[in-house]
Amino acid sequence: MVEFTYVVSSIIFGSLFGMMAIGLTLTYITTKVPNFAYGSFVTVGLYTSYSLYRFEAITPYLSAPIAFGIGGLTSILMYLGILRPLARRGSPLVSLMIATLAIDIAFVGIFGTYANYLRYTYVFIDSLNFTEILGDFSIFGSQGLILAAPLTLALITIGLYLLLTRTKFGVAMRASVENPSLARVLGIDVEKVYVFAWFLAGGLAAMSGSYYTLYSQGGIATGSGLIVEIFAASVLGGLSSLYGAAIGGVIIGAGENLLTGGGISVFGNGVLDYQKGIPLVLMILTLLVFPQGLASLPWIRVVTRIRRISGRLLGGIRRLSARGLRRC
Amino acid sequence: MLNVPSVVFLGIDVVKFAVNLGTAYMLFLAVSLTLNLEAGYTGVPNFGKVMFLAGGAAVSASVCGRLAVFILGINVHGDYNGYIVTVINQVNASLSQNPVLCVELILLGTLLAAGVGAIMGFLASYPAIRLREDYLGMLLLASAQFFQIFLGAYAPLIGGTQGISVPNFFGWAGSGIGVRDVAVLGFLTVFAISVFVFVERVARSPLGRTLRAVRDNELASRALGKNDVAIRRNVIVIAAAISAMAGALLTFQVASVGPGTWDRVTWTFWIWVMVIIGGSGNNRGVALGALSFAFLFDMIDQVQFAFQPYLPDFVDVNFLRYILFAALLILILAFRPGGILPEKSSPTLPKRTLHGIMGRENAKGEMDQKEPA
Repeated sequence: MVEFTYVVSSIIFGSLFGMMAIGLTLTYITTKVPNFAYGSFVTVGLYTSYSLYRFEAITPYLSAPIAFGIGGLTSILMYLGILRPLARRGSPLVSLMIATLAIDIAFVGIFGTYANYLRYTYVFIDSLNFTEILGDFSIFGSQGLILAAPLTLALITIGLYLLLTRTKFGVAMRASVENPSLARVLGIDVEKVYVFAWFLAGGLAAMSGSYYTLYSQGGIATGSGLIVEIFAASVLGGLSSLYGAAIGGVIIGAGENLLTGGGISVFGNGVLDYQKGIPLVLMILTLLVFPQGLASLPWIRVVTRIRRISGRLLGGIRRLSARGLRRC
Repeated sequence: MLNVPSVVFLGIDVVKFAVNLGTAYMLFLAVSLTLNLEAGYTGVPNFGKVMFLAGGAAVSASVCGRLAVFILGINVHGDYNGYIVTVINQVNASLSQNPVLCVELILLGTLLAAGVGAIMGFLASYPAIRLREDYLGMLLLASAQFFQIFLGAYAPLIGGTQGISVPNFFGWAGSGIGVRDVAVLGFLTVFAISVFVFVERVARSPLGRTLRAVRDNELASRALGKNDVAIRRNVIVIAAAISAMAGALLTFQVASVGPGTWDRVTWTFWIWVMVIIGGSGNNRGVALGALSFAFLFDMIDQVQFAFQPYLPDFVDVNFLRYILFAALLILILAFRPGGILPEKSSPTLPKRTLHGIMGRENAKGEMDQKEPA
């Protein structure tokens, strides 16, 4: 029913949007500002991988950690250099939002100038708009990213879980997000925590940008164009939960591609034009129906109910097996 | 045919520059004033401004083009979008002989755009009045992005990604940098000045104070019996209608329409830059902000030509503009958050009454101080 290419793209985009949404949520829960410049950090990753591939023929898998570092540092620069000073001067939320929009525009200008520089100095004629980088390894008859991207998302989610629950710094992070003033009283350096969160966020975006180059074409405004999907994923996850964001990203990425693939087989190719509308519709529905996102649904009730039922079942099995053992 | 004289000063054709600047300014002025009404006075962070302009432009271009072809009796074989390219010269030639029809179609298109804009504004306001500022900003930004995709995808409206050409409704006034541009400028000036008078009257009326009350303290205004939901909805609808009219006029000016014209940078971000440079919550400030923006924007082009030999090849003026204006905006947000002309505090009573009360209070205060002695 759905063509295989759409299954592949749903797996890859689901994982990439998961990573991006985790990062966006990290910036939102620390500063409470919707970061419209976040998409451009994906472009940082795109251009890091593109340049390293064109100059040194380094595969994006190897340049992804480098992109992570560059993206993270740029993100810290944006936070410490622009957003924090503005917030300290008491700028209202709308001013901070417009500042992030300004940063996004500036980024597009910087990428454009850099791409032009590559074009004129090194004669990379495709620098403003390049096709995907070939040279991914192949697995199950399709490209390796189909395995690498979900694996990375899983590792990141598990890593974040371990960091936030098993380490002192992670607990301090959660405390600084939940109640900054109380955390400060307890001697936690809240600012350090925020800077770390922004580093992680920028890094995740840039890393998914590097992966992105293996699958899809890119250009100076690619990241800015993804911002709608990333926000949709983050909003679906509740804008407050990192795990919710990961799930939201998977739903948005997979949903967009699977619904498009399914739609094409039913209604024909015209559906392709409306593909980008799917995440938007999901986002609007989320905002209007359950604005707190997936995180607000009564999961605890669902989980306890499942636990109760499974407990009863397990108890029954145990009793039965005990009786059986006694009989033997 | 009349011709506008050209005056060249420092290598710049001053008249041409002034006419172009004026045209851009009048459009920017109208749109930025509506954004000021929404964001400056009422506190609705409209990050989807471009959507309303594009909606008005697309519908008016589509309908007026078809009407013109129908009235002039030109055969397009039932496929307007497909054949307009081949008959556009014929349509323009007949239209230039018929100024009355042209003006009628321009007015009709503008009114139609206002209606479309109002409907879009009403739809957008449904979530707008229910969501928090930040969620609302995201939603409007996303909707605008989708609307641009929709314009490119839905071919029957304006022919998909390539766009279509629109009949030249100003053809009767000559062509090129001749009298046509001056005629367009006249239309736009009348439009922009009426918008200015309208928003200024709103701002100075009791309604203006209500808007600011809704912006500054929603709960308090609700407690005083103001229906903040309806107020915000009405402001969005009115601002959207005016923006759509501006979109229609721009389309008639450039005589073509496509999804590419309506990008987020020009018609959302630059408009915000104008409002913030000028001073949000102050119409005169915004008018000044739009003027300084339009002037700087065009001057960068002129200056770039002068410095072309000294600039490296890879510096593209468009990207340079992105960086410069973004930096300017952030600097203004940091060091002069009120803009060039910050919002004035509005006295709640006439000045004389206020002085009288103050005088009495002061006198009373002095008496109170005297009593214990």
